[in-house]
Parts: sequence; C-alpha cells; structure tokens
Amino acid sequence: MSRVAYYPGCSLHGTARELESSFVGTAVKLGVDLVEIPGWECCGNTAAHATNRLLATALPANEMAKVKDDMGLERVAVPCAACFARFMATNHEVEDADTAHDVAQVVGRPYAGGVGVLNLVDFYHDEVGLEALEAKAVRPFAGLKVAAYYGCLLTRPPKITLAEDPEYPTHMDEVLETLGCEPVEWTFKTDCCGASLALCEQAVVVELVRKIIVNARACGAQAIACACPLCQVNLDSRQGDIKKTDPSWIDVPIVYLSQFVGRAIGVGAADLGLKKHMVAAEALLA
Amino acid sequence: MTTTIDATLARRVNRGSGENAYKCYQCKKCSTGCPVAGFGDLHPAQIMRAVQLGAVEAAVDSRFIWLCTGCETCTTRCPQGIDIAAIMDELRMIAREEHRVRSDAPFANILKLNYDSFRRWGRLYEVELLALDKATRLSSLTDDVVMGIRMFLKGKINPLPTFGDRAQMKRMTDVADRINRDKRAVSRAMDLPDTASLPPASPGGVR
Repeated sequence: MSRVAYYPGCSLHGTARELESSFVGTAVKLGVDLVEIPGWECCGNTAAHATNRLLATALPANEMAKVKDDMGLERVAVPCAACFARFMATNHEVEDADTAHDVAQVVGRPYAGGVGVLNLVDFYHDEVGLEALEAKAVRPFAGLKVAAYYGCLLTRPPKITLAEDPEYPTHMDEVLETLGCEPVEWTFKTDCCGASLALCEQAVVVELVRKIIVNARACGAQAIACACPLCQVNLDSRQGDIKKTDPSWIDVPIVYLSQFVGRAIGVGAADLGLKKHMVAAEALLA
Repeated sequence: MTTTIDATLARRVNRGSGENAYKCYQCKKCSTGCPVAGFGDLHPAQIMRAVQLGAVEAAVDSRFIWLCTGCETCTTRCPQGIDIAAIMDELRMIAREEHRVRSDAPFANILKLNYDSFRRWGRLYEVELLALDKATRLSSLTDDVVMGIRMFLKGKINPLPTFGDRAQMKRMTDVADRINRDKRAVSRAMDLPDTASLPPASPGGVR
C-alpha cells in the first residue's frame, strides 16, 4: 500500500464535496493510504497571484514543507486543478535562490522543492497505474462515450505543470478507456470554462460553457469527464442558464473522473455523490 | 480621453512580473487563443503593445485585465516565451496600488474579497465571499439567487467556515505583505518620473 499526503483545498469542503468523497472512496478501494495535511490552508488561488506573488508562492510551500518535514512523505495528492497548478508553480519558483530565501522567511522554515504533486488524473494514471486500475474495475463501463475535459490548469503552462502534451493531453482519456469508456476526439479539451468569472461575469461564462458542451456533444459524447471543481460547477450549473434562451438544449452530465473510477470499482452511491449534480448523471452511471 | 505616455510603465511591469514585455513582436498568437479576447475592450496583444508604449490608460485602466481568467493559453503559446498572464497580474497590482481599478470590473471585487477571506479563516469561506460581494456590489444582488438556493439544497454549499491553521496564516500574510510592500516601494523609487500627456487627437484627423 502506498502512502501519499492529501491536500483537499477549499472547494472540496464546499462546492466540490462529491469530488472529495468520491476521490477518498476510490483511494480506499485502490489501496492508497491518503494522509490529510494537518491544519492545511488555502493555496491562495488566483486572488493571491494577482495580489502578492510572494504569498502565492509561500502558501503551497508551507503545505509541502509539512509534507516533507513533518509527515515524512514524498508525494501529495491535490485533486483540485487550481490548487495543483499553484503547488507546481511553487516547486518551479523555489528553484530561484532569492525567491526561496523570501519564501523561507514567510513560511518560517525553508522549502526547496522536492515534493511530488499529483493531480486527479496523475493519481489514477501514475500513482495507481492503469494495469492496477483495470484489475480493480469490477463494474466496467460498456463503451460509454465520454469527452475528457482537462480545462486550463492541469496542463498549462507546461513549464510549470510539466504536462507532456499540453495542447491535446491524453492521460485522462487513457484512464477512462481503462474503465471501459470510449473517449471521444474533440476540440475543446483544454479550453477555459471561465473559472471564477462565474461569480461576476455570468454572460461570458455561459458562452464559454455553451461552446465547450456543444462541441463535446457534436463529437458524440454522452457525458463530459472533468478534474477541476470550477470546471465541474460551471459546466454543470450553467446549462440551466443556457436553457433559458435555448429551449431545445439537451443536457450533458458533467462528471468528475473520480466518480467514473468509483462507479467502475464499486464505490457506494453515497460516496459517488452524483445526487449533488444539477444535471442528472445517476442514470448514465447506474 | 487624454493619453499619458509613461516611459516607466514597461520597466515597472517587467520588474514586478520578472518578464520582458519588450520581447513581444505582435504575432497576436495570445489573442487568437484567448477565451475572453472578444468580451473586453482590448485583447492581450494590444495590452502588450500598450505596455511597451507606456500607454497607461490603455493598459492599466483596461477592462480586459479584469476579464483575464488566468487560463495560461497566452503564456503557453507565446513564441517569445513571455508569461503574458503574469503581466496581466502585474497590471492588476499596479491598478490597485494607484487606485485606478475601474468601476465596471466586478472581478476586482471578487478577488479582493477572496484574498481577505482566506486571510481571515485560513481557508476560503465561499458563502461569506458571495454574501459580501452582494453587499458591496449592488448589481450582483439578484445574480444566481435561484441557482444558489438549488446548490444549497443539493448540499453543495457549506454554510459554515472550516478553519486552517489561522495563526500560521496570519504570520505568513503579515510577513509576505511587508516584504512585498518594501520590494515594490524600492521598485517604484528606481524610476524617475518620465511622463508626457498628449492632447486628444483632433477630430478631423489629418490637418
């Protein structure tokens, strides 16, 4: 059994609770021991890097110093794509000695990098591995067509995320295929959903979401898989707004990758949390 | 609108972001990949040109800098390797420092409330952020009320805050704020004022 640190991040205790319950549920079944970072704090998200760069670098450094020095672990699972990007940015930025010096002053101890950061896709693709995943998939899907939606921060910018194919990534597709789904080729894999503009520029977000879902459907997808709380909540909740002006709109379920994995390996319905979605997804994953 | 040309703008942006805005040669790849290029006043390549020129109103007062989602497509695709998204962040910081955040930039309010929220609790308290936004930005009062109620009923909204290590958060934000403030003050002091105001263009164009 492998042991990795676990950083939930704020969304997983709020709007993305089903991401937390399904992720933890799959980890238990897959034999990965997740150890939550004690007293974890916000990664700072966009608000920090648009306000104070040093704080934006220091907040994840504080968490990774705990992982390395206090918990004695080498890797941390960060299921939220936005948190993941901030953790990876910190690992990149502390390579600079001046930055590392300032970060140590802020955190109160040094962090010079070295903790591996796993996003939701990495967790299944690399930490668990496709072979082990296939072996545990007792209830595989029968060719469900799914569009793997990566959004922005799982892969961009590649010098930070170290994604091998940032414009057209395939690791999530490979995980879905392992579960018996049929991933579709489509255009908007890495397009932006509008992120937190959803809180104030609703018209922009509705239009971005509409374009993404229309393309997924046109390419044959019956559902969209995602690995980011903002992507999920935007794509899921804004379909109601789209319907106000387009009564012929056909809903597409927006499902976390961890929920697909959970369904295939036999995680219970309560942990899957499909009831929390605005667009009904239970029938498709029944 | 008068046009102020501030020759120090690009230098300040470069020092703050660690980038070199002068490397932009206007291929406009950033703008073609930008998800919000069509929704604002300017698009990213125009912002980059404005920074190079020192056109403060065009760059710092643009609505675009508050529409940028930070998707990093521009940064990923720039053939000159410029972290354009970091330059948008820097322009936001300059806009705040100089008290010139425009009134039709609601995202500025969201980002500030978000920053305050995680400082206060150690973690982002989503409900508090939304409530304070509605209290401080009246146009948001009726936005998404029905959706908010539906999400609450679905158990997607946590009414109570959860706490991180608040003492450590306070320590970190205090130290980071002090170091950041000192560094930016030094940066500002490095440039002598170097501005000129141009009169508005004559309406007839060529005289």
